[in-house]
Amino acid sequence: MSTAVLSRQKMPFLPDIKSSEERSSTPEGKSPKSRYRNPLRHNVYVTMLRQGFHRSFADLYSLMKFWNETRQAAGPDSALWKARSVEEQPYKLETLQLFLTRAEAASRAGDHGSVYESQLALARFFSHPEDKWLSHHFYQMSLVSARKIKIDGGKKEAEANAHIGQVYLEQGQVELAKEHYEAFRHLAAGRTWHDGEGRTHYSRSCEGLCRVYTLLADRALQSQEYKTAIQILTKAYEMAKEAGDRQIEGNAAYRVGLAYQKAGDQLTAKRFLNIYMEISKILSDANNVGKAYKAIAKSLESEDKLTETIQSLEKFAEVSQNSDQQQNLIEAYMSLGMSFNSRGQYDQSCQYFEQAYETACALESVPLLHKAQVCLASARAHRMLRAYIIHVEAGGRQSVQRLISWKESRQDTFNEPAHELSMLQKGQLDSYTQ
Amino acid sequence: MSAKLNPLANPKGQKKLCEICQKPAHIQCTRCRVTFYCNTEHQQADWVSIHEKVCQLLILIRKPAPFHAVQADRDKQRNEIRRRQEELIEISQAAARRRLSEGSHQEALPAAQFSLRCAMDVYGSSAIRLVPSYLLMAEASMGLGKLVQAKEYLSLAEWTVVQTPNCSNNTLHQLHRNMGRLYAATGDLEEALWHLAEDVFYATEGFGLDSVVTCQGYFLMANVFLRQNKADIANSIYSEVARKWHIHLTRLLVQKHTQEHVQAEQLLDEGQRAEAEQTLRTLLEAQEQSSKPQLEQSAILAHCLAMLWYLSDCSEKALEFGRKAMELSQQVSELNLSDPIKALLERAEESLMVVKTN
Repeated sequence: MSTAVLSRQKMPFLPDIKSSEERSSTPEGKSPKSRYRNPLRHNVYVTMLRQGFHRSFADLYSLMKFWNETRQAAGPDSALWKARSVEEQPYKLETLQLFLTRAEAASRAGDHGSVYESQLALARFFSHPEDKWLSHHFYQMSLVSARKIKIDGGKKEAEANAHIGQVYLEQGQVELAKEHYEAFRHLAAGRTWHDGEGRTHYSRSCEGLCRVYTLLADRALQSQEYKTAIQILTKAYEMAKEAGDRQIEGNAAYRVGLAYQKAGDQLTAKRFLNIYMEISKILSDANNVGKAYKAIAKSLESEDKLTETIQSLEKFAEVSQNSDQQQNLIEAYMSLGMSFNSRGQYDQSCQYFEQAYETACALESVPLLHKAQVCLASARAHRMLRAYIIHVEAGGRQSVQRLISWKESRQDTFNEPAHELSMLQKGQLDSYTQ
Repeated sequence: MSAKLNPLANPKGQKKLCEICQKPAHIQCTRCRVTFYCNTEHQQADWVSIHEKVCQLLILIRKPAPFHAVQADRDKQRNEIRRRQEELIEISQAAARRRLSEGSHQEALPAAQFSLRCAMDVYGSSAIRLVPSYLLMAEASMGLGKLVQAKEYLSLAEWTVVQTPNCSNNTLHQLHRNMGRLYAATGDLEEALWHLAEDVFYATEGFGLDSVVTCQGYFLMANVFLRQNKADIANSIYSEVARKWHIHLTRLLVQKHTQEHVQAEQLLDEGQRAEAEQTLRTLLEAQEQSSKPQLEQSAILAHCLAMLWYLSDCSEKALEFGRKAMELSQQVSELNLSDPIKALLERAEESLMVVKTN
């Protein structure tokens, strides 16, 4: 019965195309037909404007303009000329649109936290090297909006500063990086903020500052301003201590030590190098312990404490041997050889050079091998020189005989007992005299 | 000034039609003798709007062509007429535009119509050059509340633009601005927003991001948002408009001071001046009437208006707004406007003294 009633209702055979209700119920934000005619960039801009996001529009427009101008200025020969504009890459353009509008909507509502999040998301999104400039721009923006956040005690601001410091470090603008890292440290001091990996922000800031100071000090060292370099490096060492990472602390101490060494203050240098050694021992990092011994030996050498130098170098060799670090071992042997060589103890010198040579052979490292060969040869020559001179000065038949035999065979036989030689070459000499 | 004319007495094949309404004419302009009207009201309207300026120029175009035996002479004659017609288009468009910026739409209509007719004679019926005239017609009609006519003209303009690839940004931005206005007037707010967005985009493409050409588009958009009860968006756009005008006017002021011989008209043309005055005044009044006024915004607006009046050599109004701006800016501590306002006030007083002593 009911089906009959229903079937009697007037059902049009074709849909009613004239009814205006159907047509007017297009979804909100429908786009005009021109959407299909215009390029994507046009549509993105117009959609933003249509929703009232004038700031996003201005931001994006000026960014793209800046890029185009840079490209024009770079000229057709540059790599930038061939790079594709972000405007031609739909995925990137739409991401920009999404986050920029989200940020603007949040800023209109006064929610600076969300603005910061959106900008940070954009900064992280453009991680590809050719988009680095965009990433940098959005990190800057995120710092500006992070400064407006009041409720979190400056945590976001601190993070934003850290990001920008990182950016400047990448760009090589160390001074600016220093400013931001210092701000970061200042904000993070005395707080217990953690990042995702469980490290405190404060420790991170100290680590960053340590890196920045090291870079600054390198510059000072290059221009041979040791005093400033030492000052900066000492700051770096303090930062490293506060960062709570022994590895970094050790390295910082090592750098301070080296700087003092260059400046000529061997005592202080040794003090710092010993700190470095102790830390390295605690961390049982044989490589670094070796490095420490080597540096200390250098200090001792410039103080003319030769026995101690050799002791230190021998320890270096020992540590290297124990930890099976051939490269360091060669270095240790070479240094030992050199130092004996400089004192005129050619026997020991030869011995160590020989060891260095053998190790280099085992390592199959040709440049080291060559070096060892040359050093060994020169040490041997020096060793022989004294005997040679004695023979020349002594004169007499026997000595001349020896000299002649050396000239022929080029074998170092000066130190061998005299009779062996005379037996060997008697007949030959007799024939000469007759 | 007018002579009677009987349509039945016209020579065969010749139809004298009214300049305004295209109906059979009954009177003739006695100065040029080539323009006809159906009654004195139409003649009066045309005279006020445009005919006064073009009366003598029309003679050469409309009188029967004299006979030239040589092809070269005929070509010369044709070129002369063409040149004259192009001149007429420019004159009439400028007249219409000025009337529109003054807000007298009724008087703009005949001039716009005349320019359209001239343009059609010169360029044919579907050339892109017709678009400015269409837009003038549409704007005048809209001002008079004749929305149907305005829509007609705008769709003609749009059709012409669609047919022509690579239109100039200026044309596109004006077309979309008028479309936006029309849709806003008819109440189709969504459509209006799309067109205004296009307008702002094309204006930015053509004139740059900081240009004040975009301001009117933004202002209209903000009005539409306000009608949609999206006050936060509207306010954000209003402050953007104020900021843009403020930057622009400050720059003009510097120009005026550094270059002595620059005239006020060179810095700010009549249309722009009228637009700025209207926009800024509306915004300031809205601020004053709102329940929670933003003092910073009001100070900027008052400063803008003071600069505007000073630039158009109206020192009294400049002083009035300058004092208001001073008062407002002192209430907002973080705004650094006091110094420029003080300088402006001093200059305005100076020029007022000069005017009085003269």
